[in-house]
Amino acid sequence: MKINGMKEFQRLSRRDFIKISTNALLGLGGVLGLAGLFRYFSFQPDPGTPKEWDLGDPAAFPIGSRTERRDIPAVIYNRDGKIVAFSLTCTHLGCTVDDDDKEFSCPCHGSRFDQDGQVIEGPAQKALNPLRVEISEGNILRIHID
Amino acid sequence: MSCHGDLGQGLTDEWRKTSFDPGYQDCWKSGCHGSDAPKNSFEIPATGAPALAGSGALARFSNSLELYNHIQGKMPFSPAGSLSAEQAWALTATILRMNNKQPGGLTLNETNGAAIPLHRKVDLPENEIPGALILTSILLLSAVGLAFRTGPDQAKQASQSARPNFFHHLHPARIPEAQARFLYTLGAGGIAVFLSMILLLTGLLEMYYYIPTPQGAPVSVQTITTLVPFGNLVRNLHFWSAQFLVIVITVHLLRVVLTGSYAPPRHFNYVIGLGLLVFILLLNFTGYMLRWDEGIHWALTVGTNLLKTIPWVGNGLYQFAIGGTSPGSATLTRFYTWHIFGLTLGVVILVAWHAFRVRRDGGIAAPSTGQPAGESITRFDLVKREVLAMVVAGLVLLLFCVIFPAPIGAPISGTNLMPGDSRAPWFFLWIQELLKAGDPFFLGVVTPALVVVVLALLPTIFPNAKNHELGCWLPAGNRVGQVITVVILLTILFLTIKGSIR
Repeated sequence: MKINGMKEFQRLSRRDFIKISTNALLGLGGVLGLAGLFRYFSFQPDPGTPKEWDLGDPAAFPIGSRTERRDIPAVIYNRDGKIVAFSLTCTHLGCTVDDDDKEFSCPCHGSRFDQDGQVIEGPAQKALNPLRVEISEGNILRIHID
Repeated sequence: MSCHGDLGQGLTDEWRKTSFDPGYQDCWKSGCHGSDAPKNSFEIPATGAPALAGSGALARFSNSLELYNHIQGKMPFSPAGSLSAEQAWALTATILRMNNKQPGGLTLNETNGAAIPLHRKVDLPENEIPGALILTSILLLSAVGLAFRTGPDQAKQASQSARPNFFHHLHPARIPEAQARFLYTLGAGGIAVFLSMILLLTGLLEMYYYIPTPQGAPVSVQTITTLVPFGNLVRNLHFWSAQFLVIVITVHLLRVVLTGSYAPPRHFNYVIGLGLLVFILLLNFTGYMLRWDEGIHWALTVGTNLLKTIPWVGNGLYQFAIGGTSPGSATLTRFYTWHIFGLTLGVVILVAWHAFRVRRDGGIAAPSTGQPAGESITRFDLVKREVLAMVVAGLVLLLFCVIFPAPIGAPISGTNLMPGDSRAPWFFLWIQELLKAGDPFFLGVVTPALVVVVLALLPTIFPNAKNHELGCWLPAGNRVGQVITVVILLTILFLTIKGSIR
């Protein structure tokens, strides 16, 4: 009985060894392959959108002016000598909002914002993003996205 | 670089005041430059010289190759174009370094410059060979394990009761041992399928980065090769699998002919196989074109112009092939679509049909003996042999990928055509050699077509091997077919070698 049991044990262990180690190797290979695939796809060929925009001489934005730049997209106000800017990207799902001089409205899902970017009507929950504005060296108006 | 300043700031007032002697600080009035300047001098543009470094500099160029082309063509201002390629590349690298955009460890040249952007720092991928080797050895070990995990007990009952997995299920439960000897089949058909799988996989991966436009194609190929992690390996695998596939299929064809295996009922499957060879050659040719760099220029011109020489339908065929009256972006779109879809779909269908017909026709041609039990092997043994062939083929493939990089050239610029790149891809070198002898229609179109037709007609118009001769090398029955095929292939081989050592 004991000898038979040993034989049984040895036979099984050899086959199980091959099976288990093969599966382990396959699993490891699969994980490594996935890691390689992940790295392969990690490269980003496109530079992405600019994070800062130079708008030239601040004098082009006189007191009381209101300038829309749909390429950024942003709206730039000069309120009593202080230049402020809002992003025109809807805070709901990223469409560019339309402007009818009184308020901004999103063509995609109908969110509406007032001239200060505050939500008038949903589905957007957050106000339009205010953008950081600076006058950089050489007297150039620069706005930062994010 | 004194025009552009010591730091690449451009010909600024500050630079001129700090570095030039007082009498020479105004470049436009001091008399050194200008219409009345001494010989060999030149006029300085009113705008001065632009900055090379800093924010906003070099905005008109997007990648290093564009900057290089400008430097080589226009700089120094006088005499323009006097720099050697090496000097111009060194200057390009210097300017990149001034802007902190030069990737470390890369020597810029025309085969990677298009991939290196000027306004964005990119990092080179780490060395991918160790990772690839580790993964390969793991897969190798597991392949061996897979092949041998079926213990002897299971093998005995394999044909009856063992439940095969999907891969095993694709094989017949038992086949005669004589049909599965390496010295008979050479493993060529199986290796061809294996290489095709690698081609499908690596081709799919390449498609995630490849841009099928004349401007985008060479840039994206350089990007895959230079910047994408494992991109170089993927591209090398795709390239070398494609080259080996042509060779392996030819060996397969030679085996079938030299063993008389195309005799009925297998004559139809033989023709399907020939069709596959033609499809694979077309795939290789279109794939070769997709680089769209200077290396392919003449092959594209000659290969498509050959179609024009065909009477009656030539011009129509030509315009169908290139999508217009001269090669352009429509041509690349057509070649791309043929390559990734049209021809590939054809190959997938033909391979499935080919494999189906092997079994429909009673397996691989072999002596029809009484098949006693001892002389047949199970699907598990068959798979072991296939795995072994795949392992050997995979190792050779990987060795080539690590040692020999796939060819790549500079993007086509129109001004910089290299006459040295006028050779056809190697699998069409024999046609190029033929073309030197005379009439392009007869030698370049009719002759290759005749080769295919003659090979296809071997089972029909020449004597076939007898049944009892099947499964042996060089049977007497189809001696004529063997001689014709060997003569054709040796001629092609001779012309290929002649063309490649030119």
